[in-house]
Amino acid sequence: MEILRTEHLTKTYGTGEVQVKALKDVSFALEKGEFAAVVGESGSGKTTLLNCIGGLDTPTSGKVLLDGQDIFSMKENKRTVFRRQNIGFIFQNFQLVPELDVEQNIIFPLLLDYQKPDKQRVEEILEVLGLTDRRHHLPGQLSGGQQQRVAIGRALIMRPMLVLADEPTGNLDSKNSQDVMELLMKASRYYQQTILMITHNEHLSANVDRVLRVKDGVLSDLGGVRA
Amino acid sequence: MRKEMKHYLDLIPISAKQRKHQSRMTRFCIILAVFLVASIFSMADMEIQSQIQRTIKDYGSWHAVFQNLDEEQIRMIEARPEVQATARYAITNYRTDEGYTVNGKETAICGFDESFQEIMQDVVPAEGHFPSKETEAMFTQNVKRQLGTEVGDTLTLMMPDGNTVDFTVSGFMADSSMLTSEDAFGMVLNTETYQEYFVDEFQFYVQFVPYSNIQRTIDDICEQMGISSEDMQENTNLLTLMFQTSDSVMRQLYMVAALLAVLVMVAGILMISSSMNSNVSQRTQFFGMLRCLGADVKQVRRFVRREALNWCKSAIPIGLLLSLLMVWALCALLRYLSPYYFGDMLSHGVSVPGLIVGAATGMVTVLLAARSPAKQASKVSPLTAVSGNAGTTHAAKKAANTRFFHVETALGVHHALGSKKNFLLMAGSFAFSIILFLSFSPAIDFMNQALRPLQPSAADLSIISQDHTCSISDEISDHLEENPSVDKVYGRSYAYSVPARSGEASFKVQLISYEEDQFNWAQEDLVDGSLSDAEDGSGALAVFMNANREFNIGDELILEIGGEEKTVKIVGRLAESMFDVTDESANLICSEELFRELTGESGYTIIDVQFNSQVTDQDVEDIRGLAGEGVTVADNRMENAQVRGGYYSFALFLYGFLAVITLISVFNIINSIDMSVSARIREYGAMRAIGMSSSQMVRMVAAEAVSYVIWGILIGSTVGLFLNYKVFENLITVRWGTPWYFPAGALAVILIAVILAAAAAVRGPAKRIHEMSIVATISAL
Repeated sequence: MEILRTEHLTKTYGTGEVQVKALKDVSFALEKGEFAAVVGESGSGKTTLLNCIGGLDTPTSGKVLLDGQDIFSMKENKRTVFRRQNIGFIFQNFQLVPELDVEQNIIFPLLLDYQKPDKQRVEEILEVLGLTDRRHHLPGQLSGGQQQRVAIGRALIMRPMLVLADEPTGNLDSKNSQDVMELLMKASRYYQQTILMITHNEHLSANVDRVLRVKDGVLSDLGGVRA
Repeated sequence: MRKEMKHYLDLIPISAKQRKHQSRMTRFCIILAVFLVASIFSMADMEIQSQIQRTIKDYGSWHAVFQNLDEEQIRMIEARPEVQATARYAITNYRTDEGYTVNGKETAICGFDESFQEIMQDVVPAEGHFPSKETEAMFTQNVKRQLGTEVGDTLTLMMPDGNTVDFTVSGFMADSSMLTSEDAFGMVLNTETYQEYFVDEFQFYVQFVPYSNIQRTIDDICEQMGISSEDMQENTNLLTLMFQTSDSVMRQLYMVAALLAVLVMVAGILMISSSMNSNVSQRTQFFGMLRCLGADVKQVRRFVRREALNWCKSAIPIGLLLSLLMVWALCALLRYLSPYYFGDMLSHGVSVPGLIVGAATGMVTVLLAARSPAKQASKVSPLTAVSGNAGTTHAAKKAANTRFFHVETALGVHHALGSKKNFLLMAGSFAFSIILFLSFSPAIDFMNQALRPLQPSAADLSIISQDHTCSISDEISDHLEENPSVDKVYGRSYAYSVPARSGEASFKVQLISYEEDQFNWAQEDLVDGSLSDAEDGSGALAVFMNANREFNIGDELILEIGGEEKTVKIVGRLAESMFDVTDESANLICSEELFRELTGESGYTIIDVQFNSQVTDQDVEDIRGLAGEGVTVADNRMENAQVRGGYYSFALFLYGFLAVITLISVFNIINSIDMSVSARIREYGAMRAIGMSSSQMVRMVAAEAVSYVIWGILIGSTVGLFLNYKVFENLITVRWGTPWYFPAGALAVILIAVILAAAAAVRGPAKRIHEMSIVATISAL
């Protein structure tokens, strides 16, 4: 089943001499449960692609279809609600809410949606993330790896159609990077979670289902890594 | 062309361009503070200058007057170097009731030296010259208007003993309000002539040279010549305005004024500091980076200070310019409201002291305010720039409570209450505004008690029957109604000492008739009963003037008028009369018809007139002609203008000050919340990315604002009301005995201002949040 499809996605910054084409006619699709990595040099347009797919940035032209719905045909408010229900985000620098503790940060998207958190699911996620005994700690009291695990929990809590991760290990040491990757793999395997991850670390892309490369705004599908 | 960077401080304008919004807010704070302080001081300066002009016109430019001096003493005083001008002066028939008359009208007679003109502008002849010969006299201008006299004509002064003296008119000088409201003439002789006909005891007026220490000189003169304090009097009105007074009451008033100015300055300093403070704390990371790159602590401090001065460069001139415009507008307003008092005010006057104080306040405040952020900035560790979670200034110590509120509300409340220091500063500054407003508002009551505003019923001109009978024909009133310069005409008929009985008791009453306007004005004095019953003639209103006599609604009084007994029912009671009536007598007010029915009289005892703004002196003379013989025509226009002017200038200051306090509160609230949002903008970006909708963001900011406002209001109202009570008691209850009342109006005004400001404060950031780009926000430095 196809979850994500982009059609002729183009993003241009500036005009005239200073015009930069960050994305040039990008079209690809992701199936449910696929774990794809986007690789490329710094400045190649990876983050722009991710932001456009996540609805944080608006493409200059082209479409993003999530589960068949064109997210840019939606009004801003509807898109926000759609985003929080269907897309989970993981950022390089975690972006946790400093005033909320671990548990609150994880259930934050649910709270924004005025849903009552399912206790069992929260316990399960805390367990998987290894954060059960730190549930009432504030982000400031956690290490970088722990903070990123919280961010992963926050991205998964809504059981979104798609998780977008922008260099999730970029700020972490190798041990913590490995933990985070293992968690993402687990999510992909056990929950059939569709994940699109940006990385410039070719090592990390070794474990994923599919690798996409962006170079100068042009996307090429390198196909499956796993046989 | 791109400017070359030659020094690390050249980074300031570049970095300011990047943060236009914050820079604008801070600059606006400085502009506002400079504007307010410069305006207040300029207005005070302009008012004092114009009051000095006015006081010199009204009371003269003399500083001290001595009595009972002999020739030797006068010579000694005149010889002193501090003395600029002296003159002898005396007056006869000051109260215009001694029987000195010209053409049948009471006349006040003055005698003085020609040099008196230097001291008293009003006595300078507007036409003709000072009476130099023994047979000459100068008159006030109403003589010319009323009698048609010209310079060179002869007028006869009739003494109370029946003797007459003829004088040639040498010239005319300005009227005085006292004489016109008494419908009397004024006449001036030189000292020699005066001595010949009247007493030879003169007062000795002295004016000192400018900038001398007047108090000390006066004390010195008195001591050297053994002049007792009863024989010396100061021109307190003038000396007070020149800040040369020993009068303790005035000293206190100056103290209060200075205190208020200081309060405004404090509010301005707080405003600038808090804005600069949050401006710097938002850029902790930026300063961290500077430190990281090798800037030492001193350089960072210098950076912040120079940045502050950079803001001053444009903000202070703008603030001063705005204050000039404001002062011009206010002066124009004052001139329009009260030409009598403020006619002399310059239309485009510039108060140098005002501008200097304004600029200095801005400068000093900014430098003082820069001290603490500079220190704070220099303390930023270089690590802050490179460590992961920097950028959020407020490290949370406790998690937000998401159990009782929606998460966005919980976060908003937490943003407000999370940091104790920040919360205290914010709620405290809101509370400060409310406290300031409430403790200052009794000043309005003070003003209303101390300076009675002109009653709506105050007449510009009154035609009064000289023998207090109903001798003025009602035709005159009809004529006046048609006069285009007349706004309102309202006559009253009086029947004095009417014998009356009520049950067993017998006493005397005054019966007075009102027409429609006067009944309307009486409305606010109505204690009980019905005004309309009195208006349609079914009974009379009783006015309490005598505590021993009680009237109840429905009482029937039997009046004895012209030998007949007539019954009048009491239909209402008034607390007081708006017109002067004799104390200790019972007053009954009835409609004109009822009055006619009871007394058979249809004329008026007094006809009052209110003019519109088109009235001229000629109109008044025409009315005088129309009124004819047997009446006094009292012209109160000048007196009314004086009362009005005094009230307006005071009111303008008080209300102006209250408006300033409100303005500062409003702006402070808007600014603080805006700053608080700016400080968290990255965090907000992240929340938006995760899926917080714009309306949820707005609710979050609103929750934060509401938390400050609620606490601000609670603290502010509690302390403010207490101070309001204390100030009221000390300022008013002690003096006039009026008990404290709950200042519902003042409280409502400031609370509404605070609430509206908070609402406005949420709007701006909400709009910004709505328009912000999520991508730009999370990736911003």
